[in-house]
Amino acid sequence: MSLFYIGRNIAIGAAMVLSISSARAADDLPKADTVLDKYVEVTGGKAAYEKHHNEVSKGSFSMAAMGLKGDVTAYRAEPDKSLTEIDLGGIGKVREGSDGSVFWSINPMMGPHVKEGTEKAQAQLQSRFNAELKWRDIFKDPKTVGTDTVDGKDCYKVQLTPADGSPITQCYDKESGLMVKMSMTAQGPTGDQPVDSFVSDYRKEGDVLMPHKIKQSAAGQEVVIIIDSVTFNADIPADKFAVPDEIKALATKK
Amino acid sequence: MRLPSGAILAAALCAWSFAQPTLTPAQRQLNVDSFEQVWKTVRDKHWDPKLNGVDWQAVHDELRPKIEAATSMQEARDIMSDMLKRLKQTHFGIVPGEAYKELDQKDDGKSDHSEGDPGLDVRLVDGHALVTFVTPDSPAAAKGVKLGWEILRIDGKELEPGLAKVREALGSPMLAELIETRSVIERMEGPLDKTVEVEFLDGSDRKLSLKLGRTGPRGVETVLGTLPPLHFWVDAHKLQPDVGYVHFNMFFEPEAVESAMKKMIAECRDCKGFIIDLRGNPGGIGGMAMGLAGWFTKQSGLVLGTMYLRTASIKFAVFPRPNPFNGPLAILVDGCSASTSEIFAGGMQDLKRARVFGTHTAAAALPSMFNKLPNGDGFQYAIANYISEGGRPLEGIGVTPDQEVKLTRHQLLEGQDPVLDAALSWIHGQ
Repeated sequence: MSLFYIGRNIAIGAAMVLSISSARAADDLPKADTVLDKYVEVTGGKAAYEKHHNEVSKGSFSMAAMGLKGDVTAYRAEPDKSLTEIDLGGIGKVREGSDGSVFWSINPMMGPHVKEGTEKAQAQLQSRFNAELKWRDIFKDPKTVGTDTVDGKDCYKVQLTPADGSPITQCYDKESGLMVKMSMTAQGPTGDQPVDSFVSDYRKEGDVLMPHKIKQSAAGQEVVIIIDSVTFNADIPADKFAVPDEIKALATKK
Repeated sequence: MRLPSGAILAAALCAWSFAQPTLTPAQRQLNVDSFEQVWKTVRDKHWDPKLNGVDWQAVHDELRPKIEAATSMQEARDIMSDMLKRLKQTHFGIVPGEAYKELDQKDDGKSDHSEGDPGLDVRLVDGHALVTFVTPDSPAAAKGVKLGWEILRIDGKELEPGLAKVREALGSPMLAELIETRSVIERMEGPLDKTVEVEFLDGSDRKLSLKLGRTGPRGVETVLGTLPPLHFWVDAHKLQPDVGYVHFNMFFEPEAVESAMKKMIAECRDCKGFIIDLRGNPGGIGGMAMGLAGWFTKQSGLVLGTMYLRTASIKFAVFPRPNPFNGPLAILVDGCSASTSEIFAGGMQDLKRARVFGTHTAAAALPSMFNKLPNGDGFQYAIANYISEGGRPLEGIGVTPDQEVKLTRHQLLEGQDPVLDAALSWIHGQ
């Protein structure tokens, strides 16, 4: 599960704004470059990431307050292809994907949707494979803007500003260098939704250390995603990332 | 005067029962914990930080000693319900734990409860409970029950006094039809192996008492999260060669609704009009209103309304389907159309994409969640306010039809559906 991928793709929606401790003076803080590079280093190093060209993650999805549970499977491949499927009991299959050109979602509640504008830019960002290595290409002038405490761990807050869309703030554990929280504002036709993602349970998959628990809060709902297995360089069928017909019909009209 | 020994014993038992708490100290503590959870949830999660102008701390301080002293589950529930009623908003309530126990007992996703009904649907018309639908092949159909018959008594109990009490307690016509109708229908529900005696006023104004068996509820059982099992059905067909018609009882089973809509839209490409019948539909999954609207517009960027949470707002955006139906759309509603039904009907009305027929809706539109409390009861609370695209809050106001059409006993007895007829007439006049 990619660092930048957890922002929204596998969440149905969720939102809570946590209090953030006051920022310390910038000159007391490490540079953002240092924090971001350290993350790559402590999670396995550039060479370990570069061995991977695609990824299949499987796990579970739950919204405890509503008693909703489901299975989640996420396929991702270079450079920015993705398909996430969540099978939710009582609702059906929620899908989001991209062939690298068209970014879309199909939801049995709301119907098919082709992402445009900032929503598309955010989806594209979240679909970037091995985005951890490419932050210099993706974000303009990242800054360490303060500190926070997440689950008892002190962390450095790094603000990342993409070319399109609002800034993303990620918090990295001062000791371990691992990311523990990400906050962003998901933008789309339903409006701007603040999303906080808390990541934990880092475990090795191959040579890369990855979070296996993601707790997301947005729109008053809490979603927990548990990753059970990750397969790199999997034999993903060529048509897995193909744009579904109903999306093609919509995309053609646009 | 000496009391007979039996009376003394009875009096003693009675006194004992009053003196002894029926809850253990642990259970009482769980009730206190539940009270605190309910109070804090409302304080922290209500979309309006001012809590509708209620001094929430004062409510807590007034009721906390009462919950500590509550000696029964019912008393504890009543106190928590009282607290929630102070908000004067719907979708806040305490659900008895029995409903959750039923859920916990099942292990295969299916409930094993044996409840059924005689196969009747009912609406309150000017205070009279009239039969508006008889399920084909149901016990009611087998006994010859007809549309328009009035229900006078159920199992010997006269309906009117109870309904009058409900009306009085509500103090407002909003929600009244929904609650009164539910109360009549629920009185006829029960075990499948037992009958229910219903006294009708038939089409000739004669009183007729029938013992009706019960059959399983119409539709397929659906389970969504912590909600109790529900029965869902969808009916999609052409009413006439040139009018599409889709009627479903709840906004659940999104894939089933989507499938029915897809089929009907495909068959109805050249239809003169389309009817979505939301009469009796109490709502369900809010997001489905967006999906349903997408079948009827090709225009991107439309919004049905906006849901306001404390920390965010969510626009109910319409995502147009690949080949939407662009002809006249009629939406049928009544006093039992609530929540998502109101969001859809109100939004489409505001967008001027549909004409709404029937009677005023239930005015109960707030989205809500269910949490399990420490004492085992459920707690329903609204997480947001909702404002339709035209700027009106649907909660407490509801949707007023563009063309008000009331049912009458006479028309029902004649086998007519005046609401549907009005919609058809409008479609053919376009």
